[in-house]
Amino acid sequence: MNVDVNAIFQIAGIGIIIAMIHTVLKQMGKEDMAHWVTVIGFVVVLFMVVNLLDSLFKEIKTIFLFQ
Amino acid sequence: MLKLLGAMLILLAFTLFGFYQAHQFARRPKQIAELIRSIQRLETEITYGFTPLPQALLKVAEACPPPVGALFRNAAEALAKDGCRSVQQIWQEAIHNQWQHTSMKKGEQDIIRQLGFTLGLSDSTDQVKHLRLAIQQLQGEMDGAQEDRKRYESMWRSLGLLMGALLVILMY
Repeated sequence: MNVDVNAIFQIAGIGIIIAMIHTVLKQMGKEDMAHWVTVIGFVVVLFMVVNLLDSLFKEIKTIFLFQ
Repeated sequence: MLKLLGAMLILLAFTLFGFYQAHQFARRPKQIAELIRSIQRLETEITYGFTPLPQALLKVAEACPPPVGALFRNAAEALAKDGCRSVQQIWQEAIHNQWQHTSMKKGEQDIIRQLGFTLGLSDSTDQVKHLRLAIQQLQGEMDGAQEDRKRYESMWRSLGLLMGALLVILMY
């Protein structure tokens, strides 16, 4: 349970930082870079979420299909 | 504890990198202005003082603060040391040696290189024409550099810190 909470905070932190970088880059007129940063951040977060989902499904499997 | 220390170090390193980049952008217009002033001084030496090129370069170097002045000093010293090479060769070599210590970019380098092809080759009126042309081109570069400074200086200042924070969160 402890690990889960940490991961959520981590994802929230990444989101905040990526949003700030996006704003800074956009203000300075580098819109394409800003979009790339957002996409890369999204992909990184997606990987973390996929890992968590993987462990969730494994847990479900061990609970319901243990025979 | 060790993890926290590492995170602090990464954050510090990225912040300093961002400040360094901002500093580069801030220094570029100043150095171009110094370069313009030096070339104007060189022009005065050539037209009114009729100073030979090595001494003229040395005088310009003395009046100019280090990163830009070192370029002229390097050229003057090489010119005084051996007379068998052409001014153009020596000038290119001085640029090659000293350019990495300045914050200036390719555009200014090309202009100064171009100046080296004509420096010391013809009479003073022709020299003055080439020097004026170089000054004019450098003015154009300086306008661009000012624009870049306004745009990117503050961006790098915050971007360094933000990148550091992102990396720390990713690895924590």
